[in-house]
Amino acid sequence: MVSKVLICDDSNMARKQMARALPDHWPVDVTFAKHGEEAIEFIKANEFEVMFLDLTMPVMDGYETLEAIRKDDLPIMVLVVSGDIQPEAQERVKKLGAIDFIKKPVDQARIAAVLTEYGIIGEAPNE
Amino acid sequence: MNEQIALSEDERDCYQEITNVAMGQAADRLARLLGVYVVLPIPNVNIIEINEFKMTLKSLEGNATVSAVCQGFIGAGIAGEALLIFNDASFTDIAKLLDYPGNLDKHEELEMLMDVANVLNGACIQGIGGQLDIDFSQSHPVVLGQHCSISDLLSEKKNAWQRTMAIEINYTIEDHNINCDLLLLFTEESVLHMNRLISFLLDD
Repeated sequence: MVSKVLICDDSNMARKQMARALPDHWPVDVTFAKHGEEAIEFIKANEFEVMFLDLTMPVMDGYETLEAIRKDDLPIMVLVVSGDIQPEAQERVKKLGAIDFIKKPVDQARIAAVLTEYGIIGEAPNE
Repeated sequence: MNEQIALSEDERDCYQEITNVAMGQAADRLARLLGVYVVLPIPNVNIIEINEFKMTLKSLEGNATVSAVCQGFIGAGIAGEALLIFNDASFTDIAKLLDYPGNLDKHEELEMLMDVANVLNGACIQGIGGQLDIDFSQSHPVVLGQHCSISDLLSEKKNAWQRTMAIEINYTIEDHNINCDLLLLFTEESVLHMNRLISFLLDD
């Protein structure tokens, strides 16, 4: 089963870094969005399982995106990926419905641990 | 060496993202020091001529007086200056947050300015260095001026370079009247060197 994943970040480099940090054994179909407004359009048009969402973005930032998802009750799990590591930022996004917070720069082990914790992926297969 | 410094869209994006991560670390330190939430902007990254730089500074000024601290950093062939400019109106609120009693004298303001500069400059410079695998040494912060206009600040600094890469971060603090600008300025040689360093981040 291929998982549909949305990566939303205004930085091209950050989008690529995020895509590269996804677990190797996780079959995914990745779509990229440049800001929240684009992400919301994609989510309304297609079904996605998970979104990795940046906070500081032009047009529509991560907080506004979470609010829009909640308002329309859109069916997607959101993991916030941000350089804003203030405790307050982490609390706010969780209150707005994000399931967890991952700090930038992203590392593969942390992403895999979070995805496993929420049952999005199984344990890594033994080599 | 007369190579003109320039940034491609990818390079600019890369510096912006590196700054984004570094300023997040700096904001976290300041948030913990003051017990507040720091609103993070999207940083500006530009190659600018010294004249444009003066205009940038003037546009920050408005009519307010400012206090400013600069701090040099150097490491692995990269050198620059971090310039932190505080709107003087910010001091009253910072003093409240740091529990300074009564009216502030110039020395207490200076102490606060240095404290905040140490946190913001230090964390930001080390944050950028960390991502590029560079261990930056920082010089002691120097006060460029207290309660002066931006024009006064500019006359203090002689024109040491013509073009620079400037990274501008405007920090504001939620629910408080605190506003400061952190400018990171890199020498031309440094930008050439850093462009080579970040090329590994940009490779697919």
